[in-house]
Amino acid sequence: MSDLPERQTDIGPPHYEQFLPPVIKNNYGKWKYHEEIDAGHMVHVSETGDKVHTVRVASPRLISTDFIRDLCNIAEKYCDGHLRFTTRNNVEFMVDDESKVAPLVKGLKDSGFLVGGIGPGISNVVHTQGWVHCHSAATDASGLTKALMDEFHEYFTGAKTLPNRVRLAVACCVNMCGAVHCSDIALVGVHKTPPRIDHDNIKNFCEVPSTIGSCPTTAISPDPAKKSVKIKLEKCMYCGNCYSVCPSMPIADAKNDGVAVVVGGKVANLRKPPKFSKLAVPWLPNNAPRWPEVVQAVKTVLEAYEAGAKKHERVGEWVDRIGWEKFFEVTGFEFMIQHVDDFTFARETWRTAATFKW
Amino acid sequence: MGKKYDTPLLDDLESGVFPSFVTEMKRAAEQSEYANDLLGQLELSFKENLTHWKHGGIVGVRGYGGGVIGRYSDIPDQFPGIAHFHTVRVNQPSGWFYTADALREICDIWDKYGSRLTNMHGSTGDIILLGTKTENLEPIFAELSSRGWDLGGSGSAMRTPNCCVGQARCEWANIDTMAITNEITQHYQDEMHRPAFPYKFKFKIAGCAVDCIASIARADMSVIGTWKGDIQIDAAEVTNYAKGGMDIAEEIAGLCPTGCITWDGSSLTIDNSNCSRCMHCIAKMPKALRPGKEKGATILLGSKAPIVTGALLSWVIVPFIKMEPPYDEFFDLVDRVWEWWDDHGKNRERIGELIERLGFPAFIKATELDLHPQMIKEPRRDPFFFWSEEDIIK
Amino acid sequence: METEDIKKAIYELVEKSMGKKLLKPGDVFKKVSADNGIDKKEVKNALKELIDEEKLVYSYKGGSYVEIPPK
Repeated sequence: MSDLPERQTDIGPPHYEQFLPPVIKNNYGKWKYHEEIDAGHMVHVSETGDKVHTVRVASPRLISTDFIRDLCNIAEKYCDGHLRFTTRNNVEFMVDDESKVAPLVKGLKDSGFLVGGIGPGISNVVHTQGWVHCHSAATDASGLTKALMDEFHEYFTGAKTLPNRVRLAVACCVNMCGAVHCSDIALVGVHKTPPRIDHDNIKNFCEVPSTIGSCPTTAISPDPAKKSVKIKLEKCMYCGNCYSVCPSMPIADAKNDGVAVVVGGKVANLRKPPKFSKLAVPWLPNNAPRWPEVVQAVKTVLEAYEAGAKKHERVGEWVDRIGWEKFFEVTGFEFMIQHVDDFTFARETWRTAATFKW
Repeated sequence: MGKKYDTPLLDDLESGVFPSFVTEMKRAAEQSEYANDLLGQLELSFKENLTHWKHGGIVGVRGYGGGVIGRYSDIPDQFPGIAHFHTVRVNQPSGWFYTADALREICDIWDKYGSRLTNMHGSTGDIILLGTKTENLEPIFAELSSRGWDLGGSGSAMRTPNCCVGQARCEWANIDTMAITNEITQHYQDEMHRPAFPYKFKFKIAGCAVDCIASIARADMSVIGTWKGDIQIDAAEVTNYAKGGMDIAEEIAGLCPTGCITWDGSSLTIDNSNCSRCMHCIAKMPKALRPGKEKGATILLGSKAPIVTGALLSWVIVPFIKMEPPYDEFFDLVDRVWEWWDDHGKNRERIGELIERLGFPAFIKATELDLHPQMIKEPRRDPFFFWSEEDIIK
Repeated sequence: METEDIKKAIYELVEKSMGKKLLKPGDVFKKVSADNGIDKKEVKNALKELIDEEKLVYSYKGGSYVEIPPK
C-alpha cells in the first residue's frame, strides 16, 4: 500500500468550470433562446450570436468503463473532448457549429448509439438498481427499463411523437430511489405478503426499538418472551421498511412480489402544479426477462393518452380533465378495492361531490 | 477471463433497439471476476424472481461515515466474486460536464480496483462505482482524492447536492444552479461526510419552475429559480410563431392557468400582476418570451418518497430570496432549519415528516420565517388554532 | 473540559449502550453536551477525532450510528 498516493479529505467535487466546453464557458448565463431541431438535436443561441448544438444519445445507465471510453472517444473526435450527462441517464455531445452536427450524428450512429430523447415523446427511463444491486428490490429495474424502451424506442428517436413529454420511471421497491412518485407513467416493485421474522437472529442483527419505530402502521410490537418482535398481520401493508432496518425480517416473496403501475404524476409547474402519480394497476407478475404484462399495461395507458389528450397535455392533465372514472373506462383496467386509499392522505381522495361521469 | 455462466434469460435482453445493460455487464465480465459473478447471480434472480443482496454494516473509508454503501451477496459460496460488492459514490461535478481525460482517469482507477461497472449517474446525482471489496476502499479513496475527486453522501447525512444544467446552457435559468450546488457542497463537507442528522437531507437546485431536476419531488430542500417583474416580450417573434402555425389563442392564452394572457389575433399582452410564473408560455415560445429581470429563487421544503408515512411534495417556506454569493441569507436559513430538525427529529424522520408531526406554524415560528400568504394553498378549514400568551387579553 | 476527557465520555457512553440501544451521532452530541455542560460543537470535534483514530466507527443499519469497531 506504500505506493498509494496521499489521500485528501473534504475537498468536495472538482470545480465544474474546468470541464465546460469553450462555447459554454464563453456564453455562460447569456443564452437567449433555443430550438428543438429534431428528437436528437437542439440548438441554443446566445446573445453574443454564438450557438451550441447539442446531440443526445441514450445510455442503459448500468454501463461498463468500456462504454464510458467509447463516449470519450466520440467526445475527442467530434467535441474537443467534452461531454455531459443528463438527469435521465442520457449523454449529450455539444458542438459550436452546425456543420459539425451531421458528422457527429453519423459518428454516433456508426458506433451503435441511439440518438434521441428530446421533445414530445419518451426520453430515457429514470430507474433504480433492482436485482442488480439492491437488498429490498421486489422486481428488477434495468430489465423492466430495457423491456419498456425496446417496445417504445420510436418515441425516443422521434419516429413517433405524443401530445407532450411522457416521463417513465421504474422503482424496484416502495423506497423509490428516483422521482417515481411524480412520473407520467411509473412502475413500482411491490410486496403482497408480510415479512417473516427470524426469531433466532433478530437479537444479533437488529435493534428492537428502531425496528418497531420503522413501521408506519404500528403493526410491529415487542415479543419479550422470544426477545424478538411480533407483527399484527392485519395492520401490515408490506412496505418493507422494517427489513431495511432489521435484516432478520425478510419480506421478499418470489411468488407474490410484483409490479404496480402508477400514472399521472409530474414535477414541472407548467400549466398545472406538480402532481403525484396515482395507482392504475395494483399488481402484475414478475415475468422476467421481458415482463410482457407490464409492458402491455404501459402501452394501454400510452395509447389511451395519445388518443384522448389535447396538445400539450401531460398524462396527469389529461386524466384530470376526463376524470378517473373515464380513465378506467378508456384503459379497460379493472377498478379494484386496492385503488381506494386507506393510508395517510386517504380522505382527500374520496369523492365529495355528486358530480361524476357515467 | 471470458464467459463463466450460461445466462439465457439475460441474453434475451441483448436483443432489441435500446442499448442493453446486459451487453455492458458482459463487456465488463471479459476482464472482471466481479462482473462475471454478478451476471451469474442476476441470472439466478431473473429465474427465481428474488434478489440476492444483503445490505448495511460497518464499511467505509477512514474518517467518513458516508460515500460507501455496504453490499454483500447472500449466496457468496456460489458467487465468491461478489461476496463483497460495495458501492462507491463519487461526488459529481455540478451539471455533469466532463472531459474525456477526467472520465478516463476514473475508469482507470475503477478497472484496477472494482467491477468495471458504473451508473452514470445514481438517482441522487453521484457517479456510482458499482461493486468492490472492503480492502480496496482505502486504495480507491487515495487514488480518487489525490486526483481531486471526493466521495458523496450516504446515510443520515446531507446527500450530494444536485442541479439542472442552469445558466451553462439554458436561457430560462433564473439562478446559477451549478455555482450554488458547488457552493452548498463545499460549505457543508462535514455534514455530508460525517452523518449526524436524524436522517437523510437532500438539496436539488432548479433554474426555473420547469424543474428538470425534479427538485420539488425529490429534495428535502428545493431551490427553484424564479423572477419578479414583467415577462419580456419580443413582438416580432410572437408574430413569427403565429405565422409558423401556432394557435396562440388556444395553445398559449388558452392554457395559461391564471388566464393572464390576451391574444387579439395580432398582439400578445400579459397581465403580469396575475402571472404565477408557471413557464408554460415561455416554454412554448422561447424565442418570443423570456422571464422577468429581477432574479431569485423560491425555497420549498419537505419532499420525499413514500417511506414512511406517504410521499410529499415540497412546499413554500420562502417565496423569494436572492441567490447571490456569498449566499449568507441562504446558509443562515439552512442552519436554522437543521438546528430545529436536530432538536426535535426522531431517528429516521425526514424534515417534511417532522413538520407534519409538529405543525408548520411551529416550524415557521421556530425558524423565524417571514409569514406570507404565498406559503399556503388555502387557509385552514377547521377552527382549532393556537394563540400564544401575548395574544391573550388580560 | 479537555478534548481527551470529552472523548473518554463519548467512548464510555457508546460502550455502555452497545447491545442495548444504537446511538446516532446526534444522540451522543445531545447527551454528552448536556451531561457536561459543554457546547455540542466540542463534542462533535471530539467524536471526529475518535472516528479518525478508528476508536469508534460509523455503521449503517437503515440509518447512521456510531459503534465500537468489531475486534
